[in-house]
Amino acid sequence: MKDIKTDVVKRLIIGIGNSARADDGLGWIFVNKIKDRLPDAFDYELRYQLQVEDSELICHYDTVIFVDATKASHASGFELKPCEIAEHYYFSSHAQNPETVVYLAQTLYEVQPKAYVLGISGKEWELGEGLSTDAELNLIRAIDHFISLDW
Amino acid sequence: MSRKITIDPITRVEGHGRVTIHLDEYGQVKDSFFHIVEFRGFERFIQGHPYWEAPVLVQRLCGICPVSHHLAAAKAIDQIVGVDPENLSPTATRLRRLMHYAQIFQSHALHFFYLASPDLLFGLDAPVEKRNVVAVAVENRELAVKGITMRKFGQEVIKAVAGKKIHGILAVPGGVHNILSEAERDYFLDGKEIENIDTMITWTQEMVHFMRDYHLKNKKMLDEFAAFPSGHLGMVNDEGGMELYHGKLRAKDSEGRTTLPDVDTNDYQQYFTEATAQWSYMKFPYLTQLGRENGWNRVGPMARMNICDFIPTPLAEEARKEYFELAGKKMVNSTMYSHWARLIEMLHCAEEMKVLLHDPALLGTDLERTGVARSKGIGIIEAPRGTLTHHYEVDDKGMITRCNLIVSTTHNNDAMNHAVKWVADHVISRKGTITESMLNQVEVAIRAYDPCLSCATQALGKMALKAELYDHNGKLIDERYKD
Repeated sequence: MKDIKTDVVKRLIIGIGNSARADDGLGWIFVNKIKDRLPDAFDYELRYQLQVEDSELICHYDTVIFVDATKASHASGFELKPCEIAEHYYFSSHAQNPETVVYLAQTLYEVQPKAYVLGISGKEWELGEGLSTDAELNLIRAIDHFISLDW
Repeated sequence: MSRKITIDPITRVEGHGRVTIHLDEYGQVKDSFFHIVEFRGFERFIQGHPYWEAPVLVQRLCGICPVSHHLAAAKAIDQIVGVDPENLSPTATRLRRLMHYAQIFQSHALHFFYLASPDLLFGLDAPVEKRNVVAVAVENRELAVKGITMRKFGQEVIKAVAGKKIHGILAVPGGVHNILSEAERDYFLDGKEIENIDTMITWTQEMVHFMRDYHLKNKKMLDEFAAFPSGHLGMVNDEGGMELYHGKLRAKDSEGRTTLPDVDTNDYQQYFTEATAQWSYMKFPYLTQLGRENGWNRVGPMARMNICDFIPTPLAEEARKEYFELAGKKMVNSTMYSHWARLIEMLHCAEEMKVLLHDPALLGTDLERTGVARSKGIGIIEAPRGTLTHHYEVDDKGMITRCNLIVSTTHNNDAMNHAVKWVADHVISRKGTITESMLNQVEVAIRAYDPCLSCATQALGKMALKAELYDHNGKLIDERYKD
């Protein structure tokens, strides 16, 4: 089997969600807006759900940021935290969470990129495109903070 | 005291289903049902859309098998613009076939490695914390890495021809809109950046051998678990060989007698009727001449192995012969053989992909054909889960006025209900209490059919597990739940 390349410093942002489900599209919209402003700073991927094979994808990167909408309320409108590896799994399906994807990368490929989870607070989750007013504000705050960091 | 057991929803399948098992006052199974409880209704809301939107819209039925819906719809829409399958350009046919084989390859890999392998590796009595792909990855690293790489290979092929791994677009009415460059083709042949098609064939052969050896050690379980007679339906080529993209419909009964003799796919309405039930959104197709009770068929890998005379690629054909030789019968009616058949089909698809990747016509530029417009189009393919039918009718402005979908999983509706009944009768009946193992075996039986409930009713759902015990008055007396 081919070796996973780890000698190149690369950064990846994975937006998770569904833009047809109102604020569930926060992860995708975040990715598209960062891509417009920093087209060369990161590689970008969009996912409805994370899957097992994403563990192979992240092995090609030095830093990975998972961005998703969250129902949790944060004073800042978002939360950026390290993604701790965990042997968690979704019992019922093939969909995985970021912590499991990182865990699988380490277990299967012996690679552990620096990983972060950015959760942006949303309020509306029904069918429909476009963000709620609160989510729009939280998105702006998250982008401003993200851009200000030295990645 | 009569009771009712409910398993809701079923896990490690696509979509949302529920099982109820009704026991009489002696704890014996009276009845069982596999309910499909969500609904999206593409057949209805696609009406009023222009015909050319169909191949794009319908692939949103599903995130696992969008390619199958895309291609079945495209075959139907080809007819709307007056182009029959044999009149597509050689390049368009090859690109579509390449995409189709890649789809089956990656879909079967997903099912075997991610969903089914815990059942086979850890057994029917495995603790719940082991029944998942993470446990497979931890205990069988090489198997897991190969599984991921094989699924990725299929997805990369789809991306190369359709632009995206999921919901990409290749087909347009009368052909395809995209060419494959020599460099894109060589990516899958030279092995410089990814494992190449030869490695895919080698690894798939290893998996087939793994399953053969598993069969040798577990023949009794594979033979007996959820075994019951049924019809089998699939598509064959003009010589009777397995055909996955375009051929004729053939069905056989459980003993191998022909019940549908290689008929034109355009005539499917002459032979099939679709029944409904109050307790499920999923339809029940059956062969009209045999009636609702006896006319239903299994579809998918095991059925396709049963109805074809041979597989037209050498390694898969060798594996098919061994499969029947070790099974010791000419028709297999045992649910768990589906896993073995699925791997043999993966091998066939890998072999077909290799042939296509070496075919110069794959790189051609003659992409679209036109003909005299028609008001009706029917597209039938063998999707990963079985025979898939798309049927559209349009008005004189080209707007869709009627859509009928017979999705693979609906053909297996009766089969899955029989599989549940088998487990209820053989595992749960007269036992009194529900155990993890009992619940898991109900799901193992359903899971072997790789049902895509999202496709079958156009529903998407989150799957957890709920079991409830009711007395004969409908009072809940015991309950278990996991998510």
